Amino acid sequence: MTTKENTARVGLFFLLGVALIWVTSETLSDGKAIKSRGYPLVAGFDNLKELKQGDDVRMAGVKIGSVQETRLAGRRAEAVLRIDPVVQIAGDATATIGSAGLLGTNYIAIDLGSAGVAPLAAGAEIRTATSADLNTIMTQLGELGGKLDGALGSIGEVLKGKDGQPGMFQRLDALLAENSSKVDATLTNLQQVTDKLNRGEGTLGKLINDPRLHDELLAAAGDLKAATAEARTIMTSAQAIVDRVKTGQGSLGTLIYDDKAGQDLKAIAANLKDVSDKLAKGEGTLGKLINDDSLFREAQGTLRKADRALDGMGDSGPITAVGVVAGALF
Amino acid sequence: MKQLIAILEGIGSTVRMLVRAAGFVPTLPRQLPRFMDQCYQIGYTTLPIVSVLSFFIGSVLALQAGYSMESFGAKEFIGSLVGLSMARELGPMMVAILLAGRVGSAIAAELASMKVYQEVDALVTMNIPPERILVLPRLAAVLVMMPVLTIIANLVGWFGGAIVAHSVEFIALDPEKYFETLRRFTKFDDVASGLVKAEVFGFVVVTICCSIGLNTRGGPREIGAAVTKAVVVSLILILVLDYFLTKALM
Repeated sequence: MTTKENTARVGLFFLLGVALIWVTSETLSDGKAIKSRGYPLVAGFDNLKELKQGDDVRMAGVKIGSVQETRLAGRRAEAVLRIDPVVQIAGDATATIGSAGLLGTNYIAIDLGSAGVAPLAAGAEIRTATSADLNTIMTQLGELGGKLDGALGSIGEVLKGKDGQPGMFQRLDALLAENSSKVDATLTNLQQVTDKLNRGEGTLGKLINDPRLHDELLAAAGDLKAATAEARTIMTSAQAIVDRVKTGQGSLGTLIYDDKAGQDLKAIAANLKDVSDKLAKGEGTLGKLINDDSLFREAQGTLRKADRALDGMGDSGPITAVGVVAGALF
Repeated sequence: MKQLIAILEGIGSTVRMLVRAAGFVPTLPRQLPRFMDQCYQIGYTTLPIVSVLSFFIGSVLALQAGYSMESFGAKEFIGSLVGLSMARELGPMMVAILLAGRVGSAIAAELASMKVYQEVDALVTMNIPPERILVLPRLAAVLVMMPVLTIIANLVGWFGGAIVAHSVEFIALDPEKYFETLRRFTKFDDVASGLVKAEVFGFVVVTICCSIGLNTRGGPREIGAAVTKAVVVSLILILVLDYFLTKALM
């Protein structure tokens, strides 16, 4: 093995080491080779919590990129996300900071958004929402505990009393002790009232104990039921009639629903009007009979003549009766 | 008291040697073949043992971490544990210990025998400072080779851990997940701090071994004693310095 060969090996070895250091550096600090892939999105939050460079960006649980940079921008914190170029994020998708475990590993969770909404362009800002973290929840729980403590303390004060004032139980006790005779009397009265009720005395007692009222009520209910049944039968019949009328059956149905009947009625009305007009004008026999009084007068004259003839017949006998009638009439 | 004086004498001669060697740095380009030879000895020939050792250190780390973490469901963090441990601590430390055992002992033995057999004296007589041709090329070579050895040790250890985490039945961790957590928690700053440590360790080991070798007095028996002393002092210094360096680099 010559020195020259050894030198070449050392050179190769050294170059290999330098290359490895470079590759390690690029890989561990999310090197440029990875940075150039995908498009950036900006997500602004009030608080990035434990989020740091290199954390995952997940859509519906699937990794679609990583956090490229975290920075302060004015009054808020911004995370620059590097999203896989094959993934398109809907314009109304929302980013939240999720927690992958209890060890403080965070990631950005993006929901799917709505279908058909235009995707976000490179460099656009994605909508964000604040998610409650464990610290906030613990703080709120602590506040709640404080309030609960205060409330329980107040209840305790009410029950036990405060600053020498008697508590609720002491007051109740004193009240009962002072009014024990009245309470006793009230209870005795109450006892008497319930006894009377049990015996069926008084209106209320009868109401409770007398079975007649119950029977009468039952009978009334039975009558009501029968009446209802009859009413239902009547209604059914009426319904049947209405149905028949509606289908145009029977006189009423024909009258209401048959056009021909209507036209006939109209024609009858017109004829009636015509006849009454003629009657009014005195046309025709009946019109004349109604309007012309000459016939009446002639009939009256004829009847008078007939009367006289009958009187003459009575005088001359039946043999000449025909001649008398003929002579009287003509 | 005598021992204290001996220690102070050792420190003093080491510092003097370093200063003199630093004075000869401009002559380094003219010593390129010697430098290359030392690079070959320190770097290239140490690579196999460094690789084997790192592989198994990474494997054992993954195994132990898997065994401990599996009980509370945190086995996906094996990658981060192996990554950080190898990069920050075990990579540089194991390379330095191997260097002390393999290269340091050889340097001490070579220089001690040269000193005992008066070759060093002959060089001095010929007005060739031993720091120039014996110490400086070795120091330069170790400074160049240590980062290379360390980064290889780190990577081999990481892959060893990945293989074990994947193949051992009760861990069965996906390599992708292993490297994802490794990448998430291990930053290049961690690797760089490991490389800085390795440089310091390598420099200290070679300096100590050269100094002890060149200060050997007596016969062949002292050569063995010098080698033992060089390796023991190097190991102690590595561990002591490791603590302070870790603290300083945090």
